[in-house]
Amino acid sequence: MMNVTLKVNGETRTASVPAETTLLKLLRESFNLTGAKLGCDVGDCGACTVIVDGLPVNSCLMLVNQADGREVLTIEGLASTDRLHPLQKVFEDFGSLQCGFCGPGIIMSAKALLDDNPSPTVPEIRDALGGNLCRCTGYAKMIEAILSAAGARETADKSA
Amino acid sequence: MRAFEVFAAKDSNHAVALLAQHTGVKVKVLAGGTDLLADLKFSPHSPDVIVDISRAQDLKDITLSEDGLSIGTLVTHSQIMRSPIIREMFPALVDAAHSIGAVQTRNLGTLGGNLVTGVPSMDSGPTLIALDAQVTIAGPSGRHQVPLHEFFLGPRKTILKHDELLAEIVIPKQNLGKPADFLKFGLRKGQALSLVNVAACFWVDWERNTFVAPAIALGAVAPKIIRTPQAEAYLEGREITLEAMVEAGHIASTEARPITDFRASAEYRRHLVAILSRRALEHAYTLAKAKRPGEIKK
Repeated sequence: MMNVTLKVNGETRTASVPAETTLLKLLRESFNLTGAKLGCDVGDCGACTVIVDGLPVNSCLMLVNQADGREVLTIEGLASTDRLHPLQKVFEDFGSLQCGFCGPGIIMSAKALLDDNPSPTVPEIRDALGGNLCRCTGYAKMIEAILSAAGARETADKSA
Repeated sequence: MRAFEVFAAKDSNHAVALLAQHTGVKVKVLAGGTDLLADLKFSPHSPDVIVDISRAQDLKDITLSEDGLSIGTLVTHSQIMRSPIIREMFPALVDAAHSIGAVQTRNLGTLGGNLVTGVPSMDSGPTLIALDAQVTIAGPSGRHQVPLHEFFLGPRKTILKHDELLAEIVIPKQNLGKPADFLKFGLRKGQALSLVNVAACFWVDWERNTFVAPAIALGAVAPKIIRTPQAEAYLEGREITLEAMVEAGHIASTEARPITDFRASAEYRRHLVAILSRRALEHAYTLAKAKRPGEIKK
């Protein structure tokens, strides 16, 4: 067994788990954060995407030892009880998701993109979502939503 | 995944010591983990011990030295894409890094990790091989360098011994800034494996407008990444024209030894080699002209 301590959504969490545990399994089974999903389990589908030290990664491809001591942001860290995160709001407004399984991963990828590049072009958005598979929507409404969130952010910055 | 023990290495010496301590058991080195973890989940041959080098600080630098440009084995594909030195000297390496996986895997996956897989279609290899890159191998008896071209033995086989570590990749001094281009042909844009990938580079003798030290490297068309000695010999000293580039592409396609598999036929891959080699040469020339010292840019 291995003891790990990491910051998850701003809170310090610890766990004692077998060394072969992935970050995804740790989040879902030890911390009950089931937003990140187990999809392909080999890093192709992006359903498990979380942000580690500011970068989006496949949590299914990270062993707990790699995540030890680091800062992890999951979909559960975005909304407060009374308010959705702006990206979640635009995804709702645009009807960007259907079944929703890919949603947490897509939104975390979009958040990482906008944190790094506040006004992305459509090709940049497509590139940022290249590691997230969605089999329902065809992506068009997600891209519209992300563009809208970026626009809103720009407007907010200007008025600030 | 089957149970295993994980030992974390502080630096490369510690990693080599850990490898030496575990000679009787099956050991795997974890760098970024993107290939290793996917393998561990589905392979029946899981290791007993994992040496996690992901925090080895001395393997993470990109530095210019007297030897050339050194890229630590743990430098991720995303870091290559963002490195000011690499963007300035070798945009082809940036393109190659960008063509690997997706954002999430590029943030975890490392240059050294990609190379040690020994997969013939790997996208980080051809540009480095065209640029005569060397790799530094750290082992129990110290460090030694070999050309990257000789590092690969065949599909998924490298010269790396069980107690050795690929520590750094060095592009030699004489090739710093050499105009190069990398092209990949996959079945789609995102997360595609290369049907063929090609890197080409050369210097230009501006007085004569001829090719100097041309190199072409091909991926996914032989058991390992290959250079094309005949195409290179054809180009050396020849006047730079589109016809010469087309001909070099044809020669390169005869040097390729592709197979037919479910992704593409051998004939199709050979055709791609001719086209992509010519295009890579054209792009490298465009880059050479843009970088030409003293040239007034219009």
